[in-house]
Amino acid sequence: MPKQIHRFSFSERAIHWLAALSFLYAALSGLGLWSHHLYWIAVVLGGGVTTRWGHPWGGIIFSVILGAMFLTWARQMRLSADDRTWLRNARKYAVHDEKGLPEAGRFNGGQKMLFWGQGVLTFLLLASGVILWFPEWMPRTLRLAAILIHPIAAVGSIGMIILHIYMGTAGVPGSFRAMIRGWVTPAWAASHHPKWYRETFKN
Amino acid sequence: MHTVAKLVDTSTCIGCKACEVACQEWNDQDFTIGAFDGTYQTLPDLEHNFWNLIKFNEFSREDGHMTWNMAKYQCMHCVDPGCLKSCPAPGAIFQQKDGIVDFNHDLCIGCGYCITGCPFDVPRLNPNSKKVYKCSLCSDRTAVGLEPACIKACPTNCLTFGTREDLIQIANARSAELREDGFAGAGVYNPQGVGGTHVLYVLKDATDPESYGLPKDPKIPWAVSLWQGPVKWLGSLVLVGGVLGAFFHYLRYGPKPTHDKAGGDA
Repeated sequence: MPKQIHRFSFSERAIHWLAALSFLYAALSGLGLWSHHLYWIAVVLGGGVTTRWGHPWGGIIFSVILGAMFLTWARQMRLSADDRTWLRNARKYAVHDEKGLPEAGRFNGGQKMLFWGQGVLTFLLLASGVILWFPEWMPRTLRLAAILIHPIAAVGSIGMIILHIYMGTAGVPGSFRAMIRGWVTPAWAASHHPKWYRETFKN
Repeated sequence: MHTVAKLVDTSTCIGCKACEVACQEWNDQDFTIGAFDGTYQTLPDLEHNFWNLIKFNEFSREDGHMTWNMAKYQCMHCVDPGCLKSCPAPGAIFQQKDGIVDFNHDLCIGCGYCITGCPFDVPRLNPNSKKVYKCSLCSDRTAVGLEPACIKACPTNCLTFGTREDLIQIANARSAELREDGFAGAGVYNPQGVGGTHVLYVLKDATDPESYGLPKDPKIPWAVSLWQGPVKWLGSLVLVGGVLGAFFHYLRYGPKPTHDKAGGDA
């Protein structure tokens, strides 16, 4: 039995971290413009004018990378009946009471929801963001819709990522190494993604 | 402290455009000649380098005669300014104690949110400097006790500068006069949806401000109020709550345990 199980390929990890970096910039620069109290973030990132210029580009780059992520993972992220049961019992997962929770495949229901959630929210952020980018070309009604949709979608998106960062670091030890070095231990795989573990070893 | 205001008595505007020229001169604007569209109006709309436009609103009276409902179109200097409410750059838009709403272009980041927030569609983005411009009520003149350039130039006294309290009284008196003269609908335009404005109008027909190109009941758009109000507070709560929630989840439940089902190292 191998000590290391290959979990994420180099290209998967590269795409993930490019997405993470561009998201971080888009989120921080966006927060700098979210409230006067957070404007210091925009100042740290080069000043208000630079942030106003860079934030849309950061968002475009993140959206493109998320597109690549979709090409990589979308098939594997389809929700199965087990995933739906898992999601209904997500509260039990949160308190480590996993009796009766369906076994997770390569990705569990929560990870899949993050994937689709980010997909929908990024689409909303991109569409509303382009409208806010060029106010002089956009009809007023669209601008008013965008000015409301953009921050709401951003809060959803950043909120999910806060959860994701917690789960990917302190929350589930071993998962950060999986995304950095690409491998996990057999015990980790069997414990957190039992279905994926068995399928990996069948082959 | 008394706040200042500008009063526009539309009944005495003769459309001479002296105020437009004075505005361009004092603010040292370059001028872009536009297309001739068959009206007497200088330009179809305000521009980033044209802050004060006399609108030659053509209006058909009931008796079949055409009149010009002249209206001076510029920043209204709202008591509750939508541009200020929308601005993400601290200090780029500010409201002076005297009521003037002005832009600091060194701090403007050119996002254009003020354009969306303004209920009167006044601020304009300069495509070259990527900064937004509008009438400053000549804050650089009023600060040293001069009246705004447009008012200085007006030959008919259609424009008056003074404290807002005085001007509201003058406007009411003039409206009463106009009503006696047969303009039954005459009144003051001082829209309460934005808390009132520091640019006041006497309209010969105040029941139909739209015939002067003025919105009937301007308000800060509800999308902007919602965004700068509940969305901001609830959103901040969600984000801070998310960080705290993760932290306390860790304190209470700890990390997800890895069970040694496979017999390997965790």
